[in-house]
Amino acid sequence: MRFSDNTISNLRIKLDKGEVSSLDLFNTASALAYKYQDDCNLFVSILDKKDEEKSNSVLSGIPYALKDNISTKGILTTASSNILKDYVPVYDATVYKKLKESGAVLVGKTTLDELAMGGSGITAHTGIVRNPWDKTRQIGGSSSGSVGVVSLDIVPFSIGSDTGDSIRKPAAYCGVVGYKPTYGLISRYGLFAFASSLDHVGVIARNVKDISLVTDIIKGHDDKDMTTLEDDGVKFSDYINKDIGNKKLFYIKEICDYNTVDTDESKLVLDNFYDTVNKVKSLGFSVSEVSIDKDLLNAIYPTYMSISCAEATSNNANLVGIHFGNRIGSKSIDEIMFETRTNGFSELIKRRFILGSYILQRENQEKLYLNACRIRRLLVEKLTDLFKEYDGMIMPATGGIAPKFGDKSDNLSDKYLLLENHLALANFGGFPSITIPSGFVNKMPVAINITSGIKTDAMLLNMASKIENSLGYKNMIVGDDDV
Amino acid sequence: MMMYKVVIGLEVHCQLNTKSKNFSSSLNSYNSLVNSNISSVDLAYPGTLPVVNKEAVYKSLKTAIALNCEIPKYLSFDRKNYFYPDLPKGYQITQMHNPIGKNGYLMINVDGVDKKVLIHDTHLEEDTANLNHYSNYSLIDYNRCGIPLLETVTEPCLYSIKEAICFLEALRSLFIYCGISDARSDKGQIRCDVNVSLSKDYNKLGTRVEMKNINTFNNVKEALEYEIKRQTEILNNGGKIIQETRRYDDNLKQSFSMRNKVDAIDYKYFTEPNIPKIKISDELITKIKEEIPMLQFDLVNKYINEYNISRVDATTIVKDRKISDFYQLCINKGGNPIYLANFITGVILSHLNKFNLSIDKIKLEADSLNKLLDMVINNKISNKQAKEVLTKALEEDKDVISLVNSLNISQITNKDEILNVVKEVLDENPNLVKDYHDGKKVFDYIIGQIMKKTKGRANPKLTSIVLKEELDLRA
Amino acid sequence: MIDKEKLREYAKKLMFDMKDSEYDTLQKEFDVILKQMDLIGKIDNISSVLPMFYPFELDNVKLREDVVNNELVFDDLLVNTSNVKDNQVVVPKVVE
Repeated sequence: MRFSDNTISNLRIKLDKGEVSSLDLFNTASALAYKYQDDCNLFVSILDKKDEEKSNSVLSGIPYALKDNISTKGILTTASSNILKDYVPVYDATVYKKLKESGAVLVGKTTLDELAMGGSGITAHTGIVRNPWDKTRQIGGSSSGSVGVVSLDIVPFSIGSDTGDSIRKPAAYCGVVGYKPTYGLISRYGLFAFASSLDHVGVIARNVKDISLVTDIIKGHDDKDMTTLEDDGVKFSDYINKDIGNKKLFYIKEICDYNTVDTDESKLVLDNFYDTVNKVKSLGFSVSEVSIDKDLLNAIYPTYMSISCAEATSNNANLVGIHFGNRIGSKSIDEIMFETRTNGFSELIKRRFILGSYILQRENQEKLYLNACRIRRLLVEKLTDLFKEYDGMIMPATGGIAPKFGDKSDNLSDKYLLLENHLALANFGGFPSITIPSGFVNKMPVAINITSGIKTDAMLLNMASKIENSLGYKNMIVGDDDV
Repeated sequence: MMMYKVVIGLEVHCQLNTKSKNFSSSLNSYNSLVNSNISSVDLAYPGTLPVVNKEAVYKSLKTAIALNCEIPKYLSFDRKNYFYPDLPKGYQITQMHNPIGKNGYLMINVDGVDKKVLIHDTHLEEDTANLNHYSNYSLIDYNRCGIPLLETVTEPCLYSIKEAICFLEALRSLFIYCGISDARSDKGQIRCDVNVSLSKDYNKLGTRVEMKNINTFNNVKEALEYEIKRQTEILNNGGKIIQETRRYDDNLKQSFSMRNKVDAIDYKYFTEPNIPKIKISDELITKIKEEIPMLQFDLVNKYINEYNISRVDATTIVKDRKISDFYQLCINKGGNPIYLANFITGVILSHLNKFNLSIDKIKLEADSLNKLLDMVINNKISNKQAKEVLTKALEEDKDVISLVNSLNISQITNKDEILNVVKEVLDENPNLVKDYHDGKKVFDYIIGQIMKKTKGRANPKLTSIVLKEELDLRA
Repeated sequence: MIDKEKLREYAKKLMFDMKDSEYDTLQKEFDVILKQMDLIGKIDNISSVLPMFYPFELDNVKLREDVVNNELVFDDLLVNTSNVKDNQVVVPKVVE
């Protein structure tokens, strides 16, 4: 473990003083990107430097990376899928447009689980992504490359997407800060859709301040995304250091229960969580234990699978090889669509599409799809009620450390259903949610997650910043001997 | 030969005349170069999102209200999922669960009998791309893709082809009166799916057969005729009708089964997550209501009852909103409703039809027409002359009153003037005076001579009086 | 267990196929997820709950003004396909 002083604020000072140029920063980032590429496969594309746009923004001249499911005009964007292996967008995602206008410098497009559907980092068409902390381990996903590039100090921040936990879980596995905002705070225009009602664009960095600085730039109403919120003019980076008094947090008893975990490693993760809770209490926060019906909590994962797979089947029906995408076949229109999709998607994707389609079938909709949407409401209403009483929910971000390649999980176990999947709650309700590193278990980083009510991102970041300062893992990067 | 009860239901797709498409800002136009009205959204490039066109929503609401529909509190959309090369997203955004209007009706009049046609729903969706077929390939033009389409679905409540066609005409008229579409079937702006069932039992519906995508009302008529005949023959031969979708080929004038292609599809509808629920306020509904003009059915009744014109004339006038508006304008300016109806349905409409023109494209002021009709009413010119001069004015694109003046055709109603001509004719033909007093039937012949001299302008009644007096004087 | 041939039929409706062994995996996966979904159905009064399709509801959703902007031109299509003829995308003849 090392610490990096390449925070956005520090780089800003160096740039403004003329100690470094944006080209220097880019070259360093690019060199590091190439250096780790063979080992970790964090990038789908490492780019040549483009002239950045002139701007007075805090991000001007700062290098960063984008997940390769974000549309960049003229730059290959593959979603790590064979079906899009040669796809070059003709338009810019709003988040990319805003970063470009802020003068930030794009270093590369990062590897993801194919079409952002997965949490392992092993399904990209360009090969598996390895965890820089231990290359025999997964990095998690689907924002695999985007967390890796921050943990290796290649760039100070990156952009990812989060549908169930796709930023916040790999961030935990990689010892970096991962944040997804309130649904609609950051435009999804140009984010390749996985499950539209759960998809969020979010930020990965090494500290909460940098998360706030970036979010200030990329948030805001977008005429191209009807689900974006109206602007409220709050600047998160100004707000995070405000004294907002002692806040009330809770955790869900049934999820953070030693009885639900089956390995020593998971027990150590819970140990870390309760240690962290004590530290948080010592900062003046109150932390309460709250109980929620376990049957309802057990339904989080199947609910997530149902809704996300259903929407994904439909969202990816545009990938048929007619006017874009890797067209295969030529005999008939059906043959083109069939061969393009058969060869273009990996097995996991196909399995999820079939599941999603089955769930939406006329005869199954009521039981499989609509019941999932009903559970979604019950869970969201439960949390919304709790957020009236509490300022936020603090939880262990994961049930274990980054798994080894080949590790299999029991998808029906309590640990799997609860501890490994509760982060999806924030996607169900569009709640802002942030993962911050909280220590190590078996030499691998672990993290806590804080989630709060919708449109309370400023408060969430304020709390996270305060907690981060007390935990001692701020600006952490992978140590030289680890890589 | 058995007679069967025919039950017809219609689904009418109508392209809205918005400036831009339903979910993108691309131009909504029928006649552009191929693939010129396109955006990332229309092409369904990954990451794009739909943004609903306000005008498309307003126009749909206007139609729904005009169709006496229940309007939902919130607007929402659904996805209809299927793979086809004219559908880049792999789904169509439509309104399955919560249409913009439901349970409405439209009054029509079939051969003088009023009928309430029940509307199941009307919903806003989007058009597909155009597929142009060639010998061994097809070409895709995305211009049409995403054009707002309003689909209006009737209950199966039409009992004859006549009723079906009458409803279609009334609905088209509603679209035009509300200004939501040009509704031209030759431009594909209005298209129908037709379903029909035949049944012996007058209380039960027979097996439903659907025919998709019929372009013109005449084709609807032919398709229905064909289908009713086909089903009648099957039933008469003891056969059974299969529930299916058929395609009507208007060149071959036959329908073909598409069964295995369409009926097996499960569209897996679900709510479109990218379009939030949009509140439809009572204020908006009130505002739109005020913008809806009186429609065909009510206008016909008004013209019959208030202006005493015939149903035939009233129906003809309201067929085109612009004509009806012109008629009303003339009346408002003091014109005679009966004469106006007579001249509009006669001279003016035949001129418009002959040259395929719209009334706002011709030089005819309401005041001029009223003045011309006043001349007829006041016997300044004859009805026949007025029609001739109006035709001439329209054809030569001239103001009709100036033309009347320049042609010098207004009637001679001055007694002295007529007397001069009478004297002239009698002086030239003394034998005719003698013949008259001898009891020979020459009176009409003399009138003819006078008319010849005045080029028909002498007022016939007055001429006859003056002539008689003069003849008597010369006895 | 769901019949494997049924699963293959579903796949084909989604315009793809998988290897035989992949259907075995899928079959097992279905078994697990359907068991999990069964649990959902057992939650008290679930059928009386209104399904939720959005994370939360928005006030003041703005509709787009009806203003024209043709964002792309035909040449933009050429970036991602060479299957064109007469400024249109060409595909094998589509039989209606």
